[in-house]
Amino acid sequence: MTLLLDARGLEMTFRNGDELTPVLRGVDLQLGAGELTALLGASGSGKSTLLSIVGLLLRPTAGTIEISGERVEGLSDDRRTLFRNHRLGFVFQFHHLLPDFTATENVAFPAAAPAGSLTAAMRRRARELLERVGLGDRMDFPATRLSGGQKQRVAIARALMNRPRLILADEPTGALDREAADQVLALMKEVNVEDRATFLICTHDALVAERCGRSITLRDGRVASSQSNPP
Amino acid sequence: MFAFTVARRYLLSNPLQTALLVSGVALGVTIFVFITALIQGLAITLTERVTANGAHVSLQPETRRARVLAAPGVHTEAVSLVSTFQRQQIREWSSTLSLVRQQPAIAAVSPQITGSAFLSKGEAAAPVAVTGLDPADLDAITPISSLLTGGDSNLEAGGILIGDRLADALGLASGQPVLFRTDRGVERLVTVQGVFRTGVEAIDERVAYMALRTARPLFLLPEGVTNIEIRLTDPQRARPLAALLQGATGLRATPWQDRNLSLDEALTAQAQTGRLIQTFSLVSILIGVASALVLSTYRRRSEIGIMRAFGVSGAFVSRVFILQGLMIGLIGAVSGCAVGYGLCRLLAGLTRADGTAALPIAPDQGGYLAALVLTTVGAVLASLAPARSAARLDPLDAIQQ
Ligand SMILES: Nc1ncnc2c1ncn2[C@@H]1O[C@H](COP(=O)(O)OP(=O)(O)OP(=O)(O)O)[C@@H](O)[C@H]1O
Ligand SMILES: [Mg+2]
Repeated sequence: MTLLLDARGLEMTFRNGDELTPVLRGVDLQLGAGELTALLGASGSGKSTLLSIVGLLLRPTAGTIEISGERVEGLSDDRRTLFRNHRLGFVFQFHHLLPDFTATENVAFPAAAPAGSLTAAMRRRARELLERVGLGDRMDFPATRLSGGQKQRVAIARALMNRPRLILADEPTGALDREAADQVLALMKEVNVEDRATFLICTHDALVAERCGRSITLRDGRVASSQSNPP
Repeated sequence: MFAFTVARRYLLSNPLQTALLVSGVALGVTIFVFITALIQGLAITLTERVTANGAHVSLQPETRRARVLAAPGVHTEAVSLVSTFQRQQIREWSSTLSLVRQQPAIAAVSPQITGSAFLSKGEAAAPVAVTGLDPADLDAITPISSLLTGGDSNLEAGGILIGDRLADALGLASGQPVLFRTDRGVERLVTVQGVFRTGVEAIDERVAYMALRTARPLFLLPEGVTNIEIRLTDPQRARPLAALLQGATGLRATPWQDRNLSLDEALTAQAQTGRLIQTFSLVSILIGVASALVLSTYRRRSEIGIMRAFGVSGAFVSRVFILQGLMIGLIGAVSGCAVGYGLCRLLAGLTRADGTAALPIAPDQGGYLAALVLTTVGAVLASLAPARSAARLDPLDAIQQ
């Protein structure tokens, strides 16, 4: 199995004036292409921090990151932005949809903004993605008029817009009820299988973790365990 | 352009707030336009009043200067030129006249002899400033014949025209003789041909007109003239023309502005006040736009953060905010210009009871292009700082709010 993500020796120490907060103390994380992995750990154990580092939103204090064979930890800010746009997808606990745009426009945004225009092809792809997440009848709804679960599904469609190889989700079901959470997870599994996209999902939810192929647990700034789950 | 779509969507997302902001900008522009039109209108009116009557350029001989011839052993304390026996005059005035007539935009040229004299009748006497001119040119510089209150303006027979105040002071009426004594000591009885009233006290009390031919023997100038007065179709060309004529003739050429230095000063002071108000209105526009955009970047920071997270560049984000500034500025400026023009037209139309305009406002001179350009450019400049801070938002900080 080829490695999509290969991060080694990741350390992260936050610094506020003289106060140092070590959060990651040497994390090694490898994800095979097409894997669906859950990231577990107590609150404050550094899950979000690790996700941000891997997602090139935060620079680690130490360590190396390779994504699809490319070393990325030293990229300039502009290259990181470009890399995030082309290769990574993000889903957060809160949908963060743009309230002044329709569902379709929200989904197409990651393609339209860098290109400088929203083309018909982008619109078509956005609509396909919305069909796929089960929102074919909500495509021209303003983002503000969707339910919580629907918004999160739009957010997933948006994360998929530029066909990323790695999708990072930070408690994507954290704000949803059981039924909506199941729908969202099923959707991610489906994308994982059909597109062979790699997923790393932070979660507190044991039911979510069970349905992922593998669970990694963080404790004391290190990977405490990594186990495959029975399908 | 997608950034434009986003900027427009942001502005339309809160129409009331945007409308208020644009109105604020428009109000500032309206004030700018109004002040500009008022200052310009005032300048035009005052200039017109000063240049309506009288010459625009006066040619006179260069004043003679007393020269001290140093001689050894002679101690000089002070030299003061009290009087010159030889009257200063322009001898080659006909060639000067034809040179002046060759210049563009000349409305009238009048060669004159001016001098001082006393008029006396019985016990009463009064000093007058005499202007001797070609009767054909009588109205060329000042339309005297239309201002007559008595008699006629025919100067061919050797008569004089005087102002009504002078006539009253001396108890004179048209048709009566009066004793005329010049500063050259020549005395003669002349007839009051007509009496005029200009409304300007100093003129009505002190000025007399006569034919050039009549003036020659009185002022002992058989050939020359003392000055040449010129009127132009456009008074604003007086200064360059004066410079040109002075260079070409060696005569002293005085444009009307130099004889009305207080007007010049008043206009300059007014223009400065105007500029101050214009600047304040522009600054208030800029502060309005900047603060609105700062607020907007703050309110939208989580949206900006998520955009940055999924790979939208900082440049795109700043473009969105600069375009908002541009649109606010442009729409505000255009509507402000329109309202300002309408307001100026309205005010310019207001008249006093006597039918004259109540406000000397020039609606066409509202500085519209300047208002448009300055406001739009200013609004863009005002958006730079908020745009920059928006572009620099750390996506993580924004998302974790
Ligand atoms: N900017 C920061 N400065 C200082 N400390 C920080 C900063 N960001 C995070 N931390 C600290 O890092 C630790 C890990 O935070 P992180 O958000 O990664 O935890 P988490 O595992 O995602 O927790 P949760 O499950 O509650 O989301 C926390 O103790 C937090 O206080
Ligand atoms: Mg977290």
